[in-house]
Amino acid sequence: MQIKSTDVVVVGGGAAGCYAALNLHRHGVRSVIVCKGLIGKSGASIFAGNLVLAGRALGNTKEQARNTAEFLIKYHNQFLIDQHWARDCGKWIENVYYPELEEAGLYLRRNDEGEVVTSPGKIRSVAANLQGNSGVPFMDLRRKQVIKAGIPRFEETAVTALLRRRDGSVCGVFALDTMSGEYYVVLARAVILATGYSDRLHARSTGTREMSGDGIAMAWRAGATLANLEMQWWHTNDIADPPAWQRMQVYPNPMLGSEKSARMVNSAGEEFFNQQEDDPLAYGPYTVQLKALAKQVHAGKARFDGGYYAGFDHCDAREVEAYTSYGKGFRQLGLGFPEQLVETAVTAHYRQGGIDVDTKTMRSSVPGLYVAGGLGGHSNGLIGLATYDGKVVAEGVMGDLAQLAPGVLPEVEVESEARRLESLLQTCPGGVPVSQVKAVIRQMMWDKVGVEKDAASLQSALADIAAIRLDLLPRMSVVRAEKSTNYEWLDAIDAVNMIDTCELIILSSLERKESRGPFMRRDFPMQDNTRWLATNLMVRTANGHRFELRPYDLPFFKPDFAMKNNLEVAW
Amino acid sequence: MSDVLASGQARQLGRLERHDTLEARNRRFEEGDTVTMRVRRSGTAGLAEFRIPYRKRMRVLDALNWVAENRAPDLAYRWFCGSKMCGTCGVRMNGREVLACWEAVEPDMTIEPLRNLPVVRDLVVERGPFERKVAQLQPWLERAQAYRGFPEPLSHKEMKNASKALDCIGCMCCYSACPVIGLGSLTDFAGPAPLVQLSQTALDPRNDASKAARSLALAGIFNCVSCYKCEEVCPASIPIVSEVIEPLKAKAAVLVPEMARHSSALRAIVAVRGYVDPTALVLSVRGLKLLLDLRRALRMLVRGKIDPIKTFLKRKTPASAAAARYLKRGHRS
Repeated sequence: MQIKSTDVVVVGGGAAGCYAALNLHRHGVRSVIVCKGLIGKSGASIFAGNLVLAGRALGNTKEQARNTAEFLIKYHNQFLIDQHWARDCGKWIENVYYPELEEAGLYLRRNDEGEVVTSPGKIRSVAANLQGNSGVPFMDLRRKQVIKAGIPRFEETAVTALLRRRDGSVCGVFALDTMSGEYYVVLARAVILATGYSDRLHARSTGTREMSGDGIAMAWRAGATLANLEMQWWHTNDIADPPAWQRMQVYPNPMLGSEKSARMVNSAGEEFFNQQEDDPLAYGPYTVQLKALAKQVHAGKARFDGGYYAGFDHCDAREVEAYTSYGKGFRQLGLGFPEQLVETAVTAHYRQGGIDVDTKTMRSSVPGLYVAGGLGGHSNGLIGLATYDGKVVAEGVMGDLAQLAPGVLPEVEVESEARRLESLLQTCPGGVPVSQVKAVIRQMMWDKVGVEKDAASLQSALADIAAIRLDLLPRMSVVRAEKSTNYEWLDAIDAVNMIDTCELIILSSLERKESRGPFMRRDFPMQDNTRWLATNLMVRTANGHRFELRPYDLPFFKPDFAMKNNLEVAW
Repeated sequence: MSDVLASGQARQLGRLERHDTLEARNRRFEEGDTVTMRVRRSGTAGLAEFRIPYRKRMRVLDALNWVAENRAPDLAYRWFCGSKMCGTCGVRMNGREVLACWEAVEPDMTIEPLRNLPVVRDLVVERGPFERKVAQLQPWLERAQAYRGFPEPLSHKEMKNASKALDCIGCMCCYSACPVIGLGSLTDFAGPAPLVQLSQTALDPRNDASKAARSLALAGIFNCVSCYKCEEVCPASIPIVSEVIEPLKAKAAVLVPEMARHSSALRAIVAVRGYVDPTALVLSVRGLKLLLDLRRALRMLVRGKIDPIKTFLKRKTPASAAAARYLKRGHRS
C-alpha cells in the first residue's frame, strides 16, 4: 500500500474534475486527480454533442439569451434548480468559458468564410469540430492541459472509500489501482467528488463501463445529505441494437447550419416527435420526447425498449453531414443514410439529483467533502454547467483551505477498507458470478424503477434489494483471486455501491408523491407545484435517514399552474 | 472503386480488395447463428475458443461482453463508452486492428491484443509508452500572437487538415498497425497516432511555428514509409498519411531542413532528372564523407552498380520536364 499526501484530492477526470484541478493548479494549490477510468476518456463528458450558447454570446439576441435560461430551468430541470446559481453560471459561460476554451486551442467549428457555425432558432449552439462529437476534442484538450500542468494523475484507479477523521470530516481517499492491484491512500485537506451523474444502474444506461453510483454511495456512507435523487433523466432515442451502442443517440436537437432535426416515428409509421416543429424552445427535448413516447406506449404503438424509430429521412445527407457526425452510425450498421431510420429505445441518462451542495462553494454537508459536476444535486450536468462547477468548487476549497487541516492517516478505517475489498476477492465453488449480480440489479431497476413506476413497483424493488443483499451478495464469487487487472473484482466492488445507490434512489422515488418531467409515477400522475416545487432532501441520521423538503427560490421563472397532469405539461 | 484515392478520404485499399465492405460485414448473419471467437489470453499457449449466440447487429464488444458474462468472467479487456468516443477498446480481429465497439462480428474471428505495446493481461495493453510519446511531442497550442477574443478570426479552410486530425480518439489502432513502430528502437519514429495528435496543433494556423519545429524535431517523421497501413485501420477514417504525415513532412522540410535532407535531395534529383539517381542521392546526402568510402564506390563501379557518366553528364532525360511540372504543382499541403 502506498500513502500519498496532497492538499486536494479530485475524484473523477471529467469536465468538472479536470477544471477544478486546473484552477487549483493555477493558484498554486497542490492536487491529484484519481480517475476510475482515463482522464478525459472515460465517463460522460465525452458525450457532449454540442455547446449551448448562453447569454448574448456570439450575437445571441436578448430573446435568445432569455430562451436559453428558460430552457435550462424549465425543460432541463423542471424548476428544480437554484436560479441564482444558473444566472451566475450563464454569465460565466458567456464571458469566460468560450474565450478560455478557444484561447487554449479548442476549435469551434467555422465555415470557409470564417464564421462560427451555429444551429439557428430560438436557442443556439456551437460545436467543437463536429456536432455530436464535441465532447471528444473538448476533453482531449482538458487531458492535455492536465498533463501540461503536471498535475499528478492516478488513472484506472478506483476510489473505494472516503476516509474520515474522528470528527467525521473527510481527510482523503482509499483507492485501488485496477491495473497493478495496489492500494493507495491519498491524504488531503479536502476531497472534491466529481464522479459524474450517470450511474449505469439500469439494463439500458448511457453510463459508461466504470460507472456504478460510486460517488453517491461513498458520500452517503460519509454522511452527506442527498437531493432529488429520484430525478432520473432518460434518453428517448438511443440505438436499440447492438447492446454496445445503447449510449449512441440519434440527437434530437437542431443541427448546426440547418433548420431541421431528427424525427421519431412509431411502429405504425406515424411521426410523433420532431423538435424543431413540435417545440423549438425545447432545445434538449429529452423530457418532451419521453412524454411523447409514453403516449405512444400507452397507445400500443411503441415500447420503452424498442419498436419505434428515429432518423433523418426528411433531410439531405449533405445537410446532415456538413457539420455533424450523425451519419456515421447509420452507415456503420449498413443502413442507407439518410433514407433509412434506425430502431431506438429508452436509455437511463442523467441523474438530475445527487449530493446536496451549497452552490456558492460546492460544500457538501460533510466538512472536507466538496462536490462538482453532474454528481451535485443542484442541477443536471450539461458540460458547460459541470465546468462552471469546477471553477466554483476550486474557489470554495481555496476559500476554506486555511481552516482545513492536512489529512491524517485513519489507520482503523484504512485497515477495514482493505479487509472489505479483500473479502470481495473470494473465490468459492458454486458461488454467484459477479456479472450475474450486476445483471440482476440492472434488470430489477429497469422493470420496477424504470420510466413509469408506482408505490407497488418501488416497494417490490426494495424487497428485491433486501433479497440481493441477503442472498446474492454473500455468495458473490470471482474466478481469479489475483489483484492485478482483475475487472471482475472491480465489478464486485461496484456491485456493492450499485445496491446501496439503488436503494437510496428507490427511497427517494417513493418520497416524491407527484410526477414531474421525466419522473413519472403512475399513482401520482399530477405535477404538484403547491408541495413538490422543492428539493427532496434525504438526510442521514444516527439510525437511518429522514426526508426534508426545501422549497426553491424562484426569482426569474415560475411555473404558471399549481397542479396539472404531468403528461399534459410541455416540459 | 474509383474513390480509393479521392482527396480527403482515408485509403481503404485492403478492405476493398477483400470485398470487406460495410454492407457485407453487416449482412452475413441471421438471428440464431453462432459466432466463433478465439481469444489470445495471457498465461496460456493457445487460443481460447468460445461459441457465442449472434445478437442483432452484434459488435465485437458485444461478443466480448457475452463471454465475460457467460463463459470467462476473468477475461481482461478495456472499454468505457461503447460508441467510438473513448478509443480504449482497440483489438486485432483476424489480424486487422479494429475498435471492438464499432466493428461488426465475423462468423469466425480471432481476437488478439494490439501490437507494439506491452500486454498487461489478455487484451489489455499498456497505454503508457504511447501516452508518453504523445506527451513528449507537447501537442498543445502555443500561440505566436496573443489571443484576440472570442470568436477569433479563423476559417475552416485554414483548419481543414487540423480538423481532420481532431477526429482522433487515441485508440492506438494505427500505432499497432505501423510496421515502422514495429521496428522498435531502430528508428526514432513517433508513430502515426502521436503525429496525428501533434498535427492537431502543428497544422493549426494559430500555433507558433517554432513550437511546431521543436516538436517535429523529435518526431522522426521521415522514417514513415507511406505504407498506408495506419489509414487502412483508422476507425475515425482520418487520412493519416495524405492529410497528416505528408503535410507535417512538408512543414518539417521548411522548419527543420536538416531533418529532411534525404527527402529534399531526392525531390531535387527527381525534379531535375525525372528519375532517382542513387549516386547523386548518396552524393548530395553524404557529401564529402563519401571520400571515406572510396573502396566501396570502386567496387560498385566495377560491378556496374553505379554509372558516373550518366550521373554527371546525362542529367536531363525526357521525363525531366514532366517531373518538374508535377513537383511544381506540388503536393496538397
